Amino acid sequence: MDEKALVQLSKKGDEEAFSVLVKKYRAKIFNLAFSLTYDREIADDLAQEAFIKAYFALPKFKLKSEFGTWLYRITVNHVKDYLRKKGRMDRMSLVDIKENPFLYKDEIMKKEKDQVEEEKRRLIHECVQTLPKKYQIILSLRDIQGFSYREIAKILKIFPGTVDSRLHRARKMLRKKLTPLLRKKGGNHEL
Amino acid sequence: MNCKKIERLLSRSFDGILKPEEKTKLEIHLESCPLCREKKKEYEIILNTLRMKDQPEPKALFWERLQPKLKEKKKYVPWTLWKSWSVRAIPLSLLIVVLLAAIVIFFLPQQKEELSQSEALLLRNLNPFLETRTLLEEEGVEDKNMMLIFTTMEEKNGLRRYYP
Repeated sequence: MDEKALVQLSKKGDEEAFSVLVKKYRAKIFNLAFSLTYDREIADDLAQEAFIKAYFALPKFKLKSEFGTWLYRITVNHVKDYLRKKGRMDRMSLVDIKENPFLYKDEIMKKEKDQVEEEKRRLIHECVQTLPKKYQIILSLRDIQGFSYREIAKILKIFPGTVDSRLHRARKMLRKKLTPLLRKKGGNHEL
Repeated sequence: MNCKKIERLLSRSFDGILKPEEKTKLEIHLESCPLCREKKKEYEIILNTLRMKDQPEPKALFWERLQPKLKEKKKYVPWTLWKSWSVRAIPLSLLIVVLLAAIVIFFLPQQKEELSQSEALLLRNLNPFLETRTLLEEEGVEDKNMMLIFTTMEEKNGLRRYYP
């Protein structure tokens, strides 16, 4: 059965059809939430809530855009609401970035090279979190989720030109914040 | 082309959306500018790390955990719908009442309370009927008023009392 038919059935309250859509999109929605929160538990909760919102908003969905795009928009808005309520991101500064020995417990068992890679990854992700929300979202959609400019424009309801300029500003901001931090780590990160 | 503009091209180059002439400009600049070469390296590290594919999976039994939540929410939908409507309905109904009252007050023609001929004459202390002459000439104010009231009532009912 194609996606449109599944959406039509879900609109009528068919849970079976909706379950197929959930199974198709759960990983992408979870990853989108995770790339903005960096917390598995929270990302899982947010993904579930996004699906619940989508299910009850389905009667209003006119099928003008693709179901996936619509679902991503719901997720982005839901995560944005969560971040706004939490208020953590805007208050956080680079000074707050500290080593968290409990975050990656299983890393102790990894080889040294993997540990360095993991540390670099964590540092970059934590730095992304210090950016304004709109830059976090654009980086997540393009550089983590891999959406095209056109898809991002549809999800965020902005022009592709705006995607281009916002993405450039986000990357530039991230690079400026990260460069001194990565260098401070003693050249572990090839800088 | 200055380094600021080159940085923008550099960022776009990671998305593969550079035009051939832009690509050539970038390459020429990078050959001669060590600072921009350094920036390119930094972008590579950052973007390659962000684009790593080994992303975590959602927790197990995603749908199985979601389904009961959907059922639970369904129960509350009628109540929440009513709740959201009632919140809007209160000010809306108040507004409608105020508007209707304003229409009634300002736009509908007011009916003039018409007095009967005898009432008008009585109000001006004139004598409508001959039989009231004696009443009007009476000195007791209360009796006079009572009699006048009865006279008007009888007039409305089409009755006439005989006064010799």
